[in-house]
Amino acid sequence: MSVSRIGGFRIAGITTCVPPNIADNADCAERYGAVEVRKVVAMAGIKERRVADAGVTSVDLCCQAASSLLDKLGWSRDSITGLIFVTQSPDYFLPSSSCVLHQRLGLSVDCAAFDLGLGCSGYPYAVYLAATMLKGGGHRRILVLHGETPSKFITPADHATTLLFSDAGSATAIEADAGAGESVFALHTDGAGAGQLIMRGGGFRDRFPADARHLHLEMDGAAIFNFTVKRVPELIEETLAHAGLAVSEVDAFAFHQSNRFIMLHIAKKCGLPEDRVPLILENYGNSGGPSGPLVLTLTLGAAMAKLRESGTARPLRVMMLGYGVGLSWGAVLTEIAQDIVLGHSDYAGN
Amino acid sequence: MIADAFNEPAASLEPTTLRETVQGWDSMGVLMLTAEIDERFGVELSAETSRGMQSVDDILRFLREHDLVRD
Repeated sequence: MSVSRIGGFRIAGITTCVPPNIADNADCAERYGAVEVRKVVAMAGIKERRVADAGVTSVDLCCQAASSLLDKLGWSRDSITGLIFVTQSPDYFLPSSSCVLHQRLGLSVDCAAFDLGLGCSGYPYAVYLAATMLKGGGHRRILVLHGETPSKFITPADHATTLLFSDAGSATAIEADAGAGESVFALHTDGAGAGQLIMRGGGFRDRFPADARHLHLEMDGAAIFNFTVKRVPELIEETLAHAGLAVSEVDAFAFHQSNRFIMLHIAKKCGLPEDRVPLILENYGNSGGPSGPLVLTLTLGAAMAKLRESGTARPLRVMMLGYGVGLSWGAVLTEIAQDIVLGHSDYAGN
Repeated sequence: MIADAFNEPAASLEPTTLRETVQGWDSMGVLMLTAEIDERFGVELSAETSRGMQSVDDILRFLREHDLVRD
């Protein structure tokens, strides 16, 4: 069982950054047919997507998010002792994009920096790693950067993925806090499903594929659906059980924004009130793992305001859920203080 | 349930109706059917099984095999 409780850390801030270019799915009607586009929009819940320009990468989006976060927090660059960059759209095979980000952010040499190659499940995994690093000692402040540009994985020939995916970058600031309570983490893998969401070419197994389609994402939608509706409810139940909490005691279930139909199906199955399952798919599409922090920056502020209006100073209890490519899935159930720093911006260029 | 999943009038579906003649029996329709079966019965319709279904009768056979409908 890969379930743990870790205390002694707090999430101090989260910022996100998306490309300013908006792709309207309605504009794809000519290519894919109006009926087909309407079906996808109705099911996945995606009207618009954010698409990065050719020269803009997940590193760029995360760099802007991280710079803004450090400025908002007033944290000196020298105080960052760890940088974890989660991505499946790195700038290079080598060096690690975390090293590129380390230089661009002006961090100190007394800082561990590494990439984590996970996709839609990456956010809970990275928060887990940051928490264990802080718990292990020797670290003070860790930046978790999670960025993806899935729009660059897809081919216009595949409408199922083209109409779904969007680009985003994020930065999460995590620091040691001896007074913080414990968070519960649950992490899982089923490599038997590796072929269900895959880019077959471009890596060292098939570096220059004869079939150009292998340079694009292949998705077995039905298999991914079955994986999600089987594993995510189990994950929610398991995480709640280890925390000793009921659904009613969690303020928000921050899902990786995969697909509205699937998310609402899971919410219904698990008895989650719809008002505690924030959705941002309509305007931001499915940006892979960074959709986790994105849903937090776009909706936590309102949830905090509601809490303050009710006159309570307690933190918000949030379950963050990531699931997808790998197959890999994970959750973290944690508390987020009302003074968390949040920010969201459009990418403004280098 | 099958008609709902494929967004077709129930009267237009017979056991002999073939997949290629049902407009709503596409990748979205398959997901809807999978979700309906999961929600109503808690039974998984695998991607492989759903791909092998070529007629309404194939769906009915799956439901019978899982004791979800009776003749």
